[in-house]
Amino acid sequence: MSAVTDSRKKVLERIRAATGGSASRNAGATVGKSAEAHAEIPCDYVRRGGLTVSARQERFIERLKEYDAEVVECAPDGLAAAIAAQIEASGKRRFVAPPGIPAEWYVDAAWKIEGFECTFDHGLSIAEIEQAEGVITGCFCGVADSGTIVLHHGPAEGRRVISLLPDWHLCVVRLSQVVETLPEYFDRCAIREQGSKGAREQEAEKLPKLVTWISGPSATADIEMTRIKGVHGPRFLHVIVVKD
Amino acid sequence: MSGVSDHPVLDPALAPPFPVAALPVLRNVQLRKNVAHAIDVIQAKRARVVEEKADWQALRAAASRIKEEALENLGAYLEQFEERCTAAGGHVHWAADAGEARRIILEILREENADEVIKIKTMTSAEIQLNPFLEAAGVRTYETDLAEIILQLGKGEPSHIVVPALHVNRSQVREIFARTMGLEGLSDEPKALTAAARNYLRKKFLDVPTAISGANFLVAETGGAVVVESEGNGRMCLTLPRTLITLAGIEKVVPRFADLEVMLQLLARSATGERMNPYTSLWTGVTKDEGRGGDGPQNFHVVLLDNGRSSILGRKRERQTLRCIRCAACMNTCPVYRQTGGHAYGSVYPGPIGAILTPQLEHLKHAQSLPYASSLCGACYEVCPVKINIPEILIDLRARVTDQERETAHRFFDPMYVGMRVANMIFSRAWLFHFAQWAGRIGARLVTRKDGWIHSLPSVGAKWTQTRDLRGLPKQTFHAWWKSRERVSKGAREQGSEKAR
Repeated sequence: MSAVTDSRKKVLERIRAATGGSASRNAGATVGKSAEAHAEIPCDYVRRGGLTVSARQERFIERLKEYDAEVVECAPDGLAAAIAAQIEASGKRRFVAPPGIPAEWYVDAAWKIEGFECTFDHGLSIAEIEQAEGVITGCFCGVADSGTIVLHHGPAEGRRVISLLPDWHLCVVRLSQVVETLPEYFDRCAIREQGSKGAREQEAEKLPKLVTWISGPSATADIEMTRIKGVHGPRFLHVIVVKD
Repeated sequence: MSGVSDHPVLDPALAPPFPVAALPVLRNVQLRKNVAHAIDVIQAKRARVVEEKADWQALRAAASRIKEEALENLGAYLEQFEERCTAAGGHVHWAADAGEARRIILEILREENADEVIKIKTMTSAEIQLNPFLEAAGVRTYETDLAEIILQLGKGEPSHIVVPALHVNRSQVREIFARTMGLEGLSDEPKALTAAARNYLRKKFLDVPTAISGANFLVAETGGAVVVESEGNGRMCLTLPRTLITLAGIEKVVPRFADLEVMLQLLARSATGERMNPYTSLWTGVTKDEGRGGDGPQNFHVVLLDNGRSSILGRKRERQTLRCIRCAACMNTCPVYRQTGGHAYGSVYPGPIGAILTPQLEHLKHAQSLPYASSLCGACYEVCPVKINIPEILIDLRARVTDQERETAHRFFDPMYVGMRVANMIFSRAWLFHFAQWAGRIGARLVTRKDGWIHSLPSVGAKWTQTRDLRGLPKQTFHAWWKSRERVSKGAREQGSEKAR
C-alpha cells in the first residue's frame, strides 16, 4: 500500500506546484479561504422563477409530457381514487412500494382491484423487486423548468432499487412540492446560512446523500439519434399531480 | 463496417497524424452520412433548448468561474472530497498515471474475486485502456450503455464522447446484434434493437456483483459523486452490485453541492439537446440502511486519476482545458469534426476538445498534428458551456509544437523549414525582396492559367494547391505602382506650377 500513499503525495504535490501553493498547506484553511472566493462567483442567472402557481403547474405538466410521461391531475381527496384508476388502466397487478407512503394513498376501497397486490419494502431482495411489475412512490420535489422529479430516497420515496427495476413507475407529486427553477430546488435542500465555518459544516451535513433526478422514462438516442423510450430503467413513468 | 486496414487507432502513441487518419473517413460516404445526420439532429435539438433559456450566458459565466475556482484550489478540494467520502464509508485511491489506475482497479477486483464486471460508459476508462487490460487479466467486461454495447460487440471504436457509436447506422447495428446475440430475425427498427440490448443485459445487471463507473462530478463539500445518463444502465450499475469502483479524473471536483444547480442546467442541454437527461444519480459513500438491507453498493471505491492532468494545470491559459464537462457541444458544432468524424483524431477524445486535451495529456510527445485539425473558426468556444477558449489554446499549442519541432535536428533539411529560412533572408533585405518579386513573376507565368489563377504548384507547393487555388501574381507590384504614381503626380505638379507661372 505504500506505493499508493506515495501516489497521493505525488499527485497532490504536482497539483500544488501547478497552482502555486505548498504541498504542506493546511487543507482546511484553504477550503475556508476558497469558500470566500467561491461566494464571489457571479450569480446573474435566474434563481427564482416568476410564474404564477397555475402557470408553474402547467409548465411542469407540459414538460413532463414532452418526455412521454403520462400525467393526471387530482384534488387531495381524490388521490386514492386517482392512484387506483392509474393502476387499473395499467393492467399491472404486482406492485412494490416504499414503507413510508402515506396511509391515505391506499386505504381507499379502490385499491381492492382484483389480483392487485402490493408489497412494502422492508428489505426486499433484488429478486423479489424484480418480480414486481410496478412501483408507487412519492418524491422530494418537482422542477417545472425541466420537467424533473427529484427523489431523495426518504421513507415515501424508497430505496433507489425500488423505483428502478419495476417497468412501470407511478409517482405522486404534490403541487406544493413543485418549484419553477432548478436553483429553487437547491434552496429547498438546505437553508443557506451566511456565517461561520461551523454553520457551513452543519449545512453540509444536512445536504442529501442520495439523489435521483428523473426526467421522463428511461430513454436512449444512441441509434441514429432516434429517441426510444424505455431501455433499462422503467419504460413507463406516470405522474399524479395533487393540487394541494 | 470498415475493413481491417481502416480500423481506427485511438492510442495517441500509435495513431497516424490527423490528415492521414482522416483519409479513410473522407472516402467513406456512408460513415460521413451517418455522422452528418446524427450531428444535424443534436444541433437542432440543442438550439431549441438553449434559445429558451434567457439566462444562458449568465449560466455559462457562472459555470466557468465555478470550475476555474475549483481548479485554482484543486488540491484542497480533492482532500476535502477524500475526507468526506471516506467519512461516508467510501475508499479513495490516487493514481498518478494510467498504469497505476489499472493496477488499483485490478487489485480491488481480485480482492472481490471478480471475474466479470459491468460498466457504465466512462471516457476515463477508455483513456486508460482499461477493458483490454482487464480482459488480459481474466476479467470479462460488459459495457452497458447501448452505444458502448454496439462498439464492444461489433469490435468498433468510439467516435464521439456522448454518442460513441454515432457513426454506426441502424442496419449496421442490426447486423452486429443479430450476429453476436444470435437473433436472426431481428429487425432494424431502433425500438427492436433497444429491446434486444435490454434483454441481453438484464440478467447481467441482476447477477454481476461488481461495477465500474466514471463520474460527471465529485462534490467536495459532501463527498458525493454524480453520474448523468439516459438509459438507466447507470442506475443499475450504481444500485445493484455489491461493489462499485468509480474512476474519475482529478478535474471532476466541484466545491459545493449547490454548484450542480448551474452544471445540471448546462450539461444536458449542451450534450443531447434535452432540458434534462432522463436520469442523474448522486450518491455519497455507502448507505447502510437499518433494517432495509442498505441502499446500493456496500463497498465503494473512488480512483482519482491524474495521468497528465496536473501538468495542464500549471499553464494558466491551458488550465481552461480542465474545466471541460464532456458535453461534446464543441465537436457537434465543429466543421472539421463534421467532415472527419471522431476516429481521425486518434484518441478517445475527438473534436476540438480532443485537439487540445490529447496532446497535453501526452505531454506533446504524441498527437502533435491535432492542434492543426481546426480552422480556428471559434464555433467551439461560442457553444462551450464552461467557456473554454479552445482556439486560443490551439494557437498556443501550435506554437509549442513548432518550438519543439525546430529543436529537432532532422527538421533542419525539412523543405518547410528551409523555405522559412530562405523567406526570412529575403524579407530582411530590400534588394533581395525586389529581385525575388521580379523572379517570382516570371516563374509564376509558367504556372498561371489563362483565367488568372494558379491551380497547381510543383513540388512542396502542391500541398497548398491540393485543396485550394491561388491567385496569379498581378502584372505590377505595389512598389512599382506606387513609384509610377509618384512620378505621375510629380509630373502633374510640375505642369501645374508652370501654368501658374
